[in-house]
Amino acid sequence: MPNYKKEFSKIYDKYIDKIYRFIFLKVNSQEIAQDLCSETFINAWEKFKEEKIDNNQAFLYKIARNLVIDHYRDKGRTQIVSADNLPIIDSKTSLAEKAIFSSDIELIKKEIANLKDDYQNVIIWHYLDDLSICEVAELLGRSKEATRVLLHRALESLRGTIAERNKSGIFTS
Amino acid sequence: MQEKDLICKIKELRKIKPTQDWAVFTKERILGETSQTRTWISVLEFLPRLAYKHNKLAFASFIVFALVAGAFGFAQNSLPGDPIFILKKITEKSREALTSEQDLARVQLGFANKRLEELNEIARTNQVKKMAPAIQEFQTNVSKAAENLSRAKNPNVKEIVLETKKIMESKERVEALGVVIGGTENLDSAILELLEREIKDLQVRTLTEEQQNIFRGAVKDFEDGNYAGALEKIILLTNPQD
Repeated sequence: MPNYKKEFSKIYDKYIDKIYRFIFLKVNSQEIAQDLCSETFINAWEKFKEEKIDNNQAFLYKIARNLVIDHYRDKGRTQIVSADNLPIIDSKTSLAEKAIFSSDIELIKKEIANLKDDYQNVIIWHYLDDLSICEVAELLGRSKEATRVLLHRALESLRGTIAERNKSGIFTS
Repeated sequence: MQEKDLICKIKELRKIKPTQDWAVFTKERILGETSQTRTWISVLEFLPRLAYKHNKLAFASFIVFALVAGAFGFAQNSLPGDPIFILKKITEKSREALTSEQDLARVQLGFANKRLEELNEIARTNQVKKMAPAIQEFQTNVSKAAENLSRAKNPNVKEIVLETKKIMESKERVEALGVVIGGTENLDSAILELLEREIKDLQVRTLTEEQQNIFRGAVKDFEDGNYAGALEKIILLTNPQD
């Protein structure tokens, strides 16, 4: 089994950031993201030893998605907002700008977690993981056209929730 | 917020990453590399101190020993057909030499299972040249195991059956990849012999009423050709704690 380990080690290194981020943006908690992410790779490793996986990326995302679904099913769709969220601040900006910028990003992060599952997936895969529309369509099992429409709707939905927050004064752009 | 701004800000979320420590620790935990990595780190830390404290001869001996041990360790990951596979065989031969006759068949069945894992790896990675030596090694291990099983007076039936089951499952998996491994008739007949011996042995033992019922079931299964069923019942009788 030595080569399995080597092969899987490479896969782990290649996808750990993406899978962690994918889960983190859905559960919005570092602790839960770590648990589900390690479970994803444990399940993948078990399967990997038994059979050949054609598309590692799609395979990992599928496990991660199912685990997140199971997690919310168990928790009765409770939104968990943890105090240990990662700070995301651009080092080039001034202190005041940093505060506004950071709050923008934090809000987007939280609002993504509140989107519908398919909206979350399409945004994460296309804008964060740089997957082409074609690749996203394959992962979602939809046509390219339907995926484009879904992406557009996902962005509109995200923009809408952020605008609502703006109106209520919680968010300042 | 404009769509362009929103996309820009979404892309900022790329900065979300797991902590390095957690990622490394999790990988080690999944792949079981902790002990190996730490052993190497501690050896590397230890070497310079050793060279400083002891004379050159001792240090040279240590290096030679480390290289030999390293070569043997490295060989454990080799496949049949690899030049260093011979070192792996030497390790297995040494283990056989240190094993009692009663346990030899089980150990050799374990080696046969290893050969199947290697065959699986060879088939997956399409290393055609290594296929024939790997099948040959598997058949040799199985033949030796069967031979020793026939010879063993009091083998651990449960362990033997478990290893054999594992072999059959792995064999099926490898054959599903299109590899023709060949039959294991000699192992099958050795298991049958073992079953017959166990039945004869139990016939003269004092059994409780419940055990007698199980035994009668085992004999019936054996006569009907349901050897798996008979073995299960024999294991129940020979390992009552299970």
